[in-house]
Amino acid sequence: MKKKMRVLWLSAIACNGNTHSFLNYPYMEQFLDDFEFIYHPVIDSEYSLEDIVSKEIACDILLIEGAISKEFKRADVSVVEIIEKYSKIVKKIVTVGTCATFGGIFRESGYEETSGLHFDQEEPLKTHQDLLDKTISVSGCPVHPEVLVNTLYAIKKSVALKLDNFLRPKEFYAYTVHNGCTRNEYFEYKVDNHRFGELEGCMFYDHGCQAPFTHGSCNKILWNEVNSKTRAGLPCMGCTEPAFPRQNLFSTKKNMAIPENLPVGVGKRVYLTLAGISKAFKIDRLEKKLFDD
Amino acid sequence: MIKLIEKIEGEAKLNFNFKEGRIDFVDIEFMSTRNIENILRGKNAFDALVINPRVCGICGHAHLIATVQALESCYSNLKLSNKAKIIRELTLNFELIQNHFKWFYLTMLPLFGHKQEILKATYPSQLMGKAIAIFGGQYPHTSYAVVGGVVCEITQMDIVKLEHYISQTSKFVEENLVKTDSEIFLTCKDADALLDYEGDLPDILREIKKEGFLEHGKSYDRFISFGENSYFKKGKSLKAKVTHNISVLHVKESEMPSSFAKNVSFKDKYYEVGPLARAMVNKTPLIADAHKKYGDSIFSRILARVCEISQLLQHSKELIKDLDLSEKSYIEPSIDISKLSSSGYSAVEAARGTLIHKVEIENGMIKNYEIITPTQWNLSGGTKDKQGVSQKAMIGLSDVKTAELVFKSFDVCSVCTTH
Repeated sequence: MKKKMRVLWLSAIACNGNTHSFLNYPYMEQFLDDFEFIYHPVIDSEYSLEDIVSKEIACDILLIEGAISKEFKRADVSVVEIIEKYSKIVKKIVTVGTCATFGGIFRESGYEETSGLHFDQEEPLKTHQDLLDKTISVSGCPVHPEVLVNTLYAIKKSVALKLDNFLRPKEFYAYTVHNGCTRNEYFEYKVDNHRFGELEGCMFYDHGCQAPFTHGSCNKILWNEVNSKTRAGLPCMGCTEPAFPRQNLFSTKKNMAIPENLPVGVGKRVYLTLAGISKAFKIDRLEKKLFDD
Repeated sequence: MIKLIEKIEGEAKLNFNFKEGRIDFVDIEFMSTRNIENILRGKNAFDALVINPRVCGICGHAHLIATVQALESCYSNLKLSNKAKIIRELTLNFELIQNHFKWFYLTMLPLFGHKQEILKATYPSQLMGKAIAIFGGQYPHTSYAVVGGVVCEITQMDIVKLEHYISQTSKFVEENLVKTDSEIFLTCKDADALLDYEGDLPDILREIKKEGFLEHGKSYDRFISFGENSYFKKGKSLKAKVTHNISVLHVKESEMPSSFAKNVSFKDKYYEVGPLARAMVNKTPLIADAHKKYGDSIFSRILARVCEISQLLQHSKELIKDLDLSEKSYIEPSIDISKLSSSGYSAVEAARGTLIHKVEIENGMIKNYEIITPTQWNLSGGTKDKQGVSQKAMIGLSDVKTAELVFKSFDVCSVCTTH
């Protein structure tokens, strides 16, 4: 029998959303042929959580889900202690989801110094610097199952993934969520009359869509293999980014009618010039219903 | 003895007191909390639609629906299309279904000494995830239900896809869970007749009988269900006597000294919530028969939960027929949220039972938010004289392993409880 990679899935301050997102991975049978969990929140494992915290079980990859605070305990042991113990013996550490990477929603849950493993939102932390070389971040609330699983395969195959400043694989996070959105034309030509409940329109102008300045592959690899939030008509909430969750998520923050956050790398002056020109198009096809009578 | 019960979307610590070889009292402790209600305070009310699904990875959609309904109850003249109502009900059904598959194949089977059937859990639950994603864009953690409706527009072609996901899931049930035509299973009124069928559910039910577990897990025989929709009725059942005139105003939350979870009672009494409660209130013939024969034991509880898969698949097919695609998905509220100061609440049926959200808004900002989750109902930890539902269900058992089975028959969710 071939040797499987041994994975420890450790939850800190979490909702288990990443756990259940992972269960949506379509080729689970193949995955379970190649990997085994020494502990997982719902999949049966050879060891109990009590074993994990009281002993040192051989392991190749440590997966951390949830925001991290030394005050938060699992089976009566601080998650930081568990992380420190296993990070010494594993080949790689993966922070799964936005909480484990940046702190996320549960950064505010009231535990002492709650953050991601290496970042407190966008701020790099001074702690655990010795682990930086070992860590890969796969942010997202939740993580996309394919992003997680393929990252694990990269580790298994010793592929040197190129990482961004937040240790995220560029393969998945070099794109913006905007790439591949079916509503792109409304954005390109500045058709700004989006209303909820319609196939038409772009949520960037009024409804808070963060897709043009959020890194992720949501519209490239799609969710549940069928759709994405923005395609469905829900603004991107920027859930892969350090600042998630921002405030007033359903409305676009503007200064003098210009969205405060512009697409990645786009300057305000150029944006204004371009928007002015684009608006001049007045494309009939995009002003009407998509399925016109 | 103290035992850490694991893999219940977290853990709980159960302290078993034995007397003459039998469980005499069980103290239930949850060791943490995430303070979601505090996180919500001071935020824009609509942001709750994004934050609240993150209460729970397995039933977050119920939290979304509860949130949107609680917010909508704050408005006085809000219009909602029938289409939006149906779509919300469909996606919530799909979440319940995926949950029950996972519970049966991942949690229940190992407790009967079987291997966990991971692929049998993931295959149908992934189909249900796809069905939700057609409307919501993704599962888990969509926020597609907004005040005034749903953000999506759907087409006839989406309906075709949706129907296929549902049929494939029904087929899975017929080939694995109960090997018979769904129609026959759904019209079966005799719980004992089920024991003659092939399939993963009848296997477990036969084992319950063979192992002499039929008396296990009985509690107060007192059920409650608040979440009303086109399928579930609101009401309570006391020894199979059902009344429908109940009000959320009589639901009380109280602190527990030893645990981070809060107790929940109705008129000062503990009630069981979940699929068995819903079936008792709905008077589902098959479950009523099981209850008549085996009371509120694990037999009835397990059967009710799994049976709900087929019922909700069937009901979802009917609901789709009622969809009028020419209606609007979303009707903009006539008043802007920033001008709204009001309060409201909602009750929806989540996978594990009644979920209640209460909200207080001041100029569009959240002043106060309260969440009461199903597991809080079932796991309310009382004193020896006044025990919670699951505590009472474990009394008299002779070993901790069987107690764990009884405990998990409630489909315990630690993350929800420790919101």
